Amino acid sequence: MQSFDIGLTRRRLLKYGMAGLGLAATTPFFGALADTISDATQTFSGPLISGKKKDGPYRIGFANGFSGNSWRAMAIRALELEAAQHPDIAELIVVDGQNDITKQVNDIESLISQQVDAILVIANSGAAVVPALNNARQEGIIVAPFNLPIDGEGYDVYVGTNPEIKGQSSGTWLRNALGGKGKIVALGGIAGNSYTAAGWAGAQKAFEGSEIEVLAYRDTDWSEDKAKVVMSDLIAAYPEIDGIWADGGQVTAGASNALLAAGRPLVPVTGDDYNGLLKLYAAQKDSQPKFDIGLISEPTWEGVVALRNSLALLRGEELQRDLVITPKLITKDNYTSYIRPELADGVFVDTNLSTEELEKIFG
Amino acid sequence: MEKAPAPRLPNQSIGSVVTAIGPVWVAVIALYVISAIISPAMFQPSQVMNILQVAAFVGLIACGQTLVLLIGGIDMSQAGVVTLINIIATSMMMGSDANIGFAVVACLGLALAIGAANAFLIVMLRITPLIATLSTNSILFGIALIYTGGAPHGSSAPSFNWLGQGNIAGFPVSALCWLAVALMLAWVTRATVYGRWLYATGANPVAARMMGIPTRAVQASGYIVSALTAALGSLLLTAYVGSPSLGIGNQFMFTAVAAVVVGGTALSGGIGGVMATVGGAIFITELNSFTNIIRINTGTQMVLQGAIIVASVVLYRAVAQKRR
Repeated sequence: MQSFDIGLTRRRLLKYGMAGLGLAATTPFFGALADTISDATQTFSGPLISGKKKDGPYRIGFANGFSGNSWRAMAIRALELEAAQHPDIAELIVVDGQNDITKQVNDIESLISQQVDAILVIANSGAAVVPALNNARQEGIIVAPFNLPIDGEGYDVYVGTNPEIKGQSSGTWLRNALGGKGKIVALGGIAGNSYTAAGWAGAQKAFEGSEIEVLAYRDTDWSEDKAKVVMSDLIAAYPEIDGIWADGGQVTAGASNALLAAGRPLVPVTGDDYNGLLKLYAAQKDSQPKFDIGLISEPTWEGVVALRNSLALLRGEELQRDLVITPKLITKDNYTSYIRPELADGVFVDTNLSTEELEKIFG
Repeated sequence: MEKAPAPRLPNQSIGSVVTAIGPVWVAVIALYVISAIISPAMFQPSQVMNILQVAAFVGLIACGQTLVLLIGGIDMSQAGVVTLINIIATSMMMGSDANIGFAVVACLGLALAIGAANAFLIVMLRITPLIATLSTNSILFGIALIYTGGAPHGSSAPSFNWLGQGNIAGFPVSALCWLAVALMLAWVTRATVYGRWLYATGANPVAARMMGIPTRAVQASGYIVSALTAALGSLLLTAYVGSPSLGIGNQFMFTAVAAVVVGGTALSGGIGGVMATVGGAIFITELNSFTNIIRINTGTQMVLQGAIIVASVVLYRAVAQKRR
């Protein structure tokens, strides 16, 4: 699944799609992040950045875009625990953009005026944060976007997955699960967002040359309730649906529940590491012979890696600017090592958080 | 409402038929016929039941919104009520039937308190309804966020899910619950003294007060009913989906108001009714369903939904004017 030779059409993806040119070193994650359960690969690319050694202890800011879902809750907790483990980090300041582009820009400006040493950021808008982050760099602050890319080159280190490659991998899995032939529906996130657009572009590439027929593409806001409603309509319209492509596990769970409610057989599905979907698979797999999963996570520990890389620069080390994480595909063969039957549905299972921590987060 | 003479209808008998059954129902049937011609899937009885099952959520929420619009107000906090009730209900039930009663009572009690708080802000402190309820909405979402720490947990109880997912003789239970509440509110607003007070307060609060109507109490009651029906809609939706989500209420902030307005209730107050809102909710859900089924992209879907809502309101308003 780590085939990096696809043509990247999106400009933003170009900056970390350089692996095919031999600039990158692809290594298993065991060394770099030994305390996670993930066996994702990490691929460095882009120019070599030399840190300017600063004396600690350091103060780190995290400009979060919003905090209204369990992925963000887990990502914040993972960051807080990581920061507590480094004696040379004096403080981690987390600010919440409340899903507001303007507020996040103000948040970044306030972190600059508090003279933090590094700013981690998940941008609400890859374009809007650019001027504020440029100001930060002029003040000598390390700028480390993660999870979602920012426009241009105004940052020091980036950590994220490549949604187009993820989409192509899940698309390829679905194509193979259906034996190269069948009718599918695709369910995306919020209309117009670049993450789903890139993922769906990758999936469509994977379907090229096969007899996969895409009956419909619908946006479902990554929500279980909307996915169930939309899927119920699609079930009425199409007597045969052989597979579901989606880039979120909650969507897949909602759509699969719609199939169950309509008395239709469950089918091969894609999605992410949402625990509720793994539980659904475990509960239904014996009575639903066609039910199958091909899931790729968006790791909630990305911020931990971003923090470690920022610290490396503050300590004067060198590293390549762009890090693409390629998580391992979760399928029926390995899902038992990811599923957490004892924990809430909302848990994203590709996590470095302990069971105790997860129980705290999910009440 | 309208002083201008009603436009002449080309066929007086068609006009009177439309007037008799209510223009929104003509729109519901017209959209159904057109969508079934374009996409025969809409014609299946199972799809009709599917639409009614889903329309129950927005329909129930819009029932209370109708009362608020009738008294000349607006309730933008219903989205927050839906989200908070979904979060509280799932976290209290924790997937166990034993907790259903306690959870439902707690949710309805909470809704009562939210409605009373809105009423206090608007009636006693005289804050504009739009601002007061938007603020309440923000507070409710904030509470949901604090309560969950961003990571909601829990699930609704299996027996409770029957309300959102079950059928009685092929008819969805969610729709039956909705129609029961709607019929009751329709009776209250059309056949009781309270109902007459409601319309009089919305049409002219000053005149109503001079007539001895307790307009403040009437206004307060609207916001309380609105919060209660939002909570009931949220409970049905929770039973349908089975799980908590912090974004679950967002869609209803405007669709609930849209269902009321499409039904013909005036934003200015005093004109309209609960049963017309039932038609409005079916129309909006039917439209979503139809645009989900036909092969168009999301952008075209949104343009089409907006255009059809505007067109239907414009078209049948011409007919509706005749009635008044």
